[in-house]
Amino acid sequence: MNSDLTVEIGSLHLKNPLMTASGTCGYGDELEDYFPISRLGAIVSKSLTLKPKKGNEPPRITEVSCGMLNSIGLANIGVQRFISDKLPVLKRLGAEVIVNIAAKRADDYVSLAEIVAGLPEVKGLELNLSCPNVKEGGLEFGSDIAALGRITDLVRRVYPEVLIVKLTPNVARIGEFAKAAEGAGANGVTVANTYVGMAVDIYRRTPKIRSITGGFSGPAIKPLTMAKVFEVHNAVKIPVIASGGVFGWQDAVEYLIAGATAVELGTVLFRIPDASTGILDGIQSYMVREGLESLRELIGSLKANLDRMPHK
Amino acid sequence: MELSQVLGTRSLGGNLFITRFRSPNIAFAVLPGQFVMVSFEGVLDPLLPRAFSVCDVSGEDVFLFYAAIGKGTRMMSELRAGDMVTMNGPLGRGFPDVSAGKMVWIVVGGSGMAVVPLLARRLNRRDAKFEIFSGARTESHLVHFDGISTRDATDDGSKGYHGTVVDLIKESFQKDKPDKLFACGPTRMLEAVQSEFGGTVPTYLSVEAPMACGMGFCQGCPIRIAGGEGYYLACKDGPVFRSDEIDFGMGGDSE
Repeated sequence: MNSDLTVEIGSLHLKNPLMTASGTCGYGDELEDYFPISRLGAIVSKSLTLKPKKGNEPPRITEVSCGMLNSIGLANIGVQRFISDKLPVLKRLGAEVIVNIAAKRADDYVSLAEIVAGLPEVKGLELNLSCPNVKEGGLEFGSDIAALGRITDLVRRVYPEVLIVKLTPNVARIGEFAKAAEGAGANGVTVANTYVGMAVDIYRRTPKIRSITGGFSGPAIKPLTMAKVFEVHNAVKIPVIASGGVFGWQDAVEYLIAGATAVELGTVLFRIPDASTGILDGIQSYMVREGLESLRELIGSLKANLDRMPHK
Repeated sequence: MELSQVLGTRSLGGNLFITRFRSPNIAFAVLPGQFVMVSFEGVLDPLLPRAFSVCDVSGEDVFLFYAAIGKGTRMMSELRAGDMVTMNGPLGRGFPDVSAGKMVWIVVGGSGMAVVPLLARRLNRRDAKFEIFSGARTESHLVHFDGISTRDATDDGSKGYHGTVVDLIKESFQKDKPDKLFACGPTRMLEAVQSEFGGTVPTYLSVEAPMACGMGFCQGCPIRIAGGEGYYLACKDGPVFRSDEIDFGMGGDSE
């Protein structure tokens, strides 16, 4: 007998807790070459902006031990072309679509949310308030609690469906940011975007990516994000979507136990585009072996005495 | 994507190797100039798959040629017969088709020779004619494959023409011109080929760029669109481009 892997984020009912992390599988349809994307809990689009963006100059990526740095700079086709060219394909393929948006100004977040609000194919919105690789917007909003709360509130007023805020991990107290998102009406928070990282070519004495610093992702960051997921889970009541270095099913289960309701797959897709298939099978077998009937029994089930934490 | 068994590795001297894999789907489907992404089972460092041009095929087998210089390529050279890797491909756009009787000049720099055996095999099958111009710093940097003859150029004159392979072609152009020019090698060589011959002969360049995925997911391998705005992706739109499609400069968002 199979266990129940469905989860809820606000009014959004997902058939399982696996989602794609924004910017790690193009617009989502490209994944269909490797497995049926309708099997995913949800597809999160690349960050979309009001106008198309070329993105940053190369080199944009470099590998580090058990991880990578990227500085893509939100290269994307813009929200209008996404709606005309990509959304119909995703719908035909049976994907649950969450649109991720990014902007330089609060007004633009609102405009983007208004554009997306009327689309029945879009089941939710993820606000990228945490891109480390563009000068304006992104991280600038995400590391300012008041700005994060204000933008979330403005978007909330025009967007009636499920609203998720993607947080940056590059702050001292991520729980406070999650509370601001919750207070402004977000239905969930994604924990977290990439860490600001850097790598140096020791023979040229130059940075390995052109923007000097970039977003650090991959298995190397999993313990860092695990602590953040646990912190946010203890700070808010809305669902937490974990995103950070998941490669195997054990990683996903670990996040669920630490308090995540859903898990995003990112860097792993660059190597194993159909990773979700094995991860879902692994979670299902684990649930059966552990005698768990529903993921609700697993989520946030960490057995731990919080008093032992040196800093909470 | 397929799990591919290592059949063996042959050293070609220095840090150059050819590894043979049982990979029937890729062997059957691959076109010259296309590439595969290889990842190592159960290994998280190196984490990302590595891009290799498919050097040649034989029946169900794929041959990859590479210089073992980084963590990934060194690990590849140490694989034993029976080891498994995951191979994703064939990926990207390869060299264009050539009609029977037409002449192609293939320009390679150093280990750009990796694309030649499969390309030569397909050109032969097409009954197209071709000549290979191979350049390197010194004789010991020239790559040779059995049964494939080349016109060599070395910077120090230790073998063949004394000068760059681009100079060698410039000289040869005075007597004869091919119907198409294909080039694979370091970016500096490709830039020279583009500026010297791109306006004269239909020229195709196989570019190299750091890649995380090879599938267009990560957008990590931008190649500037010629005279225009924005980028192609080396992995999806290339790695082979017509020389007038691309610029080798920068050109990202100005912020």
